[in-house]
Amino acid sequence: MTRNPTTNAWLQLLLLSGLSVVLAAGAAGLLDPSVTGVLVLALAWMKARVILSRYLGLWQAPVWQSGFNWVLALYCSLLLALYLIPAFNS
Amino acid sequence: MVRTTANPSPGGLDDLPGDLMMWVLIISELLVFGAGLAAFLGVRISDPAGFAEARTYLHPTLAGINTVVLITSGFLAARSVDLRQQDRRKTARIALTGAMTLGVVFLVIKAIEYADTAAQGISTETHPFFTFYYLLTGFHAMHVIAGIVILALVAWKDTPRNMEVGTAFWHMVDLVWVLLFPVIYLLA
Repeated sequence: MTRNPTTNAWLQLLLLSGLSVVLAAGAAGLLDPSVTGVLVLALAWMKARVILSRYLGLWQAPVWQSGFNWVLALYCSLLLALYLIPAFNS
Repeated sequence: MVRTTANPSPGGLDDLPGDLMMWVLIISELLVFGAGLAAFLGVRISDPAGFAEARTYLHPTLAGINTVVLITSGFLAARSVDLRQQDRRKTARIALTGAMTLGVVFLVIKAIEYADTAAQGISTETHPFFTFYYLLTGFHAMHVIAGIVILALVAWKDTPRNMEVGTAFWHMVDLVWVLLFPVIYLLA
């Protein structure tokens, strides 16, 4: 049985959110905080992509979708850089 | 969401699904919240230990539950548009009502979180972390309230176009939260 694309998007978002929480909570002692930060922000970027694509309908406009994805990727990279600066300073 | 405009120039503004002004609003809101989150991490550079300690006073579990609530609410809003476009008006309205109800659940959980934080004697003046915390999450909560009102209006005047535009606002609120949640609550 094939699922509705909106339902698929919802399930993806739940999975990605669950992974974020598990990473942030469970892996806090196992992974370096910098690595956790990279993974958590990457998951946030993926969630934002799903919302833009399926909930907001950008899958119908591939050029715009690609543009939004790039800008979001750059923005998440900026957040990551700001997050990592104290680690490099210490 | 189904495109409601013609597509004379692929890649042009007409290619965007829904209403152009709603996209202008969405981008504006993303810029505001984006700047706020970047400023939050920028200020953190001067006091990473203080920010890490301040974060321990928050409730990531409640925020995690709220993430599920908001994502599910967004799902119901998106489904309501699909259903309306299939001319299933009653079911579409039920889905929208579900989306609004989950919006209220989000606000109730947020109120519980704020009440607990306030009970610990934490205010906007306690630490820069909490200034940003109250500012960003409070501003987001105001958008949730506005979104619920908009969803109620489009449930009443339920043309396919109204529903597409109204739910787009709701998805913007959802989009902001999936960026705000990890930065405020998860990044240790």
